[in-house]
Amino acid sequence: MTASTTPHQHPSADDPRILLDDQIGQFETVPPYPPRTEREAEFYSLGDGEMFLNMGPQHPSTHGVLRVVLKINGESVVDLDPVLGYLHRGVEKLCENSDFHHIISQVDPLEYVSSLFCEWSPVMAFEKLLDVQVPRRAEYIRVLTGELNRIASHALFQGWMALDLGGLTPILYSFIERDEIVDMLAAVTGQKLLFNYFRIGGVNGDLNHEFMSRLGDWMSRATAQHEANTQLLNENEIFVRRMRGIGVLDRDTAFRMAVTGPNLRASGVPYDVRRAHPYSVYPELEFDIPTRGHGRGGDSLDRYLLRVDEVKQSLRIIDQCLHNMPDGPIMAKLPRLLRPRPGRAWAAIEGPRGLYGTYAISDGTDQPFRMKIHDPSFVHLQLVGQLMKGNLIADTMAVMASLDPVMGGVDK
Amino acid sequence: MDRALRKRLETRFGEQLTGPVRQRHDQTEIRIRPADVPEVMRALHDDPELAFEILVDLAGVDTGTHMQVVYHLWSATTPDWLRVIADGMPRDDPRAPSLTGLWPGAEWMERETYDMFGIIFEGNRDLRRIYMPPDYTSFPLRKDFYLADDSARSPGGGVRHMEQTQAPSQATPSVVRRTVKA
Repeated sequence: MTASTTPHQHPSADDPRILLDDQIGQFETVPPYPPRTEREAEFYSLGDGEMFLNMGPQHPSTHGVLRVVLKINGESVVDLDPVLGYLHRGVEKLCENSDFHHIISQVDPLEYVSSLFCEWSPVMAFEKLLDVQVPRRAEYIRVLTGELNRIASHALFQGWMALDLGGLTPILYSFIERDEIVDMLAAVTGQKLLFNYFRIGGVNGDLNHEFMSRLGDWMSRATAQHEANTQLLNENEIFVRRMRGIGVLDRDTAFRMAVTGPNLRASGVPYDVRRAHPYSVYPELEFDIPTRGHGRGGDSLDRYLLRVDEVKQSLRIIDQCLHNMPDGPIMAKLPRLLRPRPGRAWAAIEGPRGLYGTYAISDGTDQPFRMKIHDPSFVHLQLVGQLMKGNLIADTMAVMASLDPVMGGVDK
Repeated sequence: MDRALRKRLETRFGEQLTGPVRQRHDQTEIRIRPADVPEVMRALHDDPELAFEILVDLAGVDTGTHMQVVYHLWSATTPDWLRVIADGMPRDDPRAPSLTGLWPGAEWMERETYDMFGIIFEGNRDLRRIYMPPDYTSFPLRKDFYLADDSARSPGGGVRHMEQTQAPSQATPSVVRRTVKA
């Protein structure tokens, strides 16, 4: 029997045309259309000795699917143009078409390494729309699990940072630390990555024996383990020399670029939403706001060390939560179907990457009319172009990693 | 709620406010005309009694009848978040002045708002689509854009045009079914 020649015939696996015909994953560096803006025209015109280099979207160290077009002269970066949208799924539109409870699972995958924080700000905004008082025990549980998640996120950051500079070992230790925390959270939330734990008016389940025993076990050695992990890097000469003085972000630029979170604190500004605009039970807890880079601006090393300092503060908070944990209900009494009165609410929290915020408008139905999610990674990623000018190509990923963007949140 | 902030805002901006200063929970809200945005923002930023240093968020809103740009600001002088609503832009040609002169970090937020709502920020030198592909012609977060299960009513009826639409007035017209008084 002869082979069919119909167009629906699937080619055999060893047909060389499969590879030639498949254009997926190939990009034209210079866009095939005329420039749309002044900035695009300026970027896509080459000066003397300059060339374009396309990095991504499948580059192993772009922390997700991000494409960056570099304009280089020799080995130094003249300018760069990040191209976003590869992970865009229109989460705000999805939220406008889901009911208030469903939204918690929609926003979870935004920042998949710290998804409790993605739930926290929408939940807080809806509680403001509904005028709900969250029980104190639920607030303490939120802070406790949130700070655990912050440590898990910062632990992973340390490993990623080293990986982007070519160090393979630290990420293994980071994942050990993160896995312990994630197992703990899985015991209480039921999931290891997208926790879907916070609820409007409280949390989904009370702390259980497995969580408490794992947490007690981990707390007894957390500080020592954290010290050991950071010593692996902090005293590594190659690591320090590749980070010091690279990507300096001064205080004024940080304010003007709307930077928040650790990146702002590493530039010497003690701005932390937990203190600047207290929410939940943070006013009752004692912790410091570490800052670095006073006067001279923060470089990549400052941003790295600041996150190391933050982990210590999170451990302090967890300790206090365990000692002060009140008894009581974990959910406010609310109807199943939520229909807030028409109105507007804004809620912001301090996440591991900066300020997460939610602006919600209710029109009286069970779905928000508009829901804007503010993600700090998105704002921080636009800094890369400024911080990279004049640096080497190899440092692009190092600077980007020190800003710690997560593409799920950037692309929404 | 910070009553003193309300008084300060009323005396400082009197004529420029298009509605009463509203306060609820930890938020204070003022409404201005889009044309006044640069002046009001500059005053909020520079006036030592207000000193709103941090631009926290920039959001577009399509109320179904008109467009808004909503800014959230933070200052050490008040325990409230300040919400500034630039109100009353026509849906078929929404235009607002850019904030990039004051906060260059607003550039991508404005790009996102342009991409999602078609609001044109005059003065932003890089106002191109940021999430959607360059040949995309509609503005997904507008209220006349429906999700895939409703695609028969979506702009263009599921047909993608290859020309570049830069303004909502050139995009395929369609119907709004949900509006809010915001």
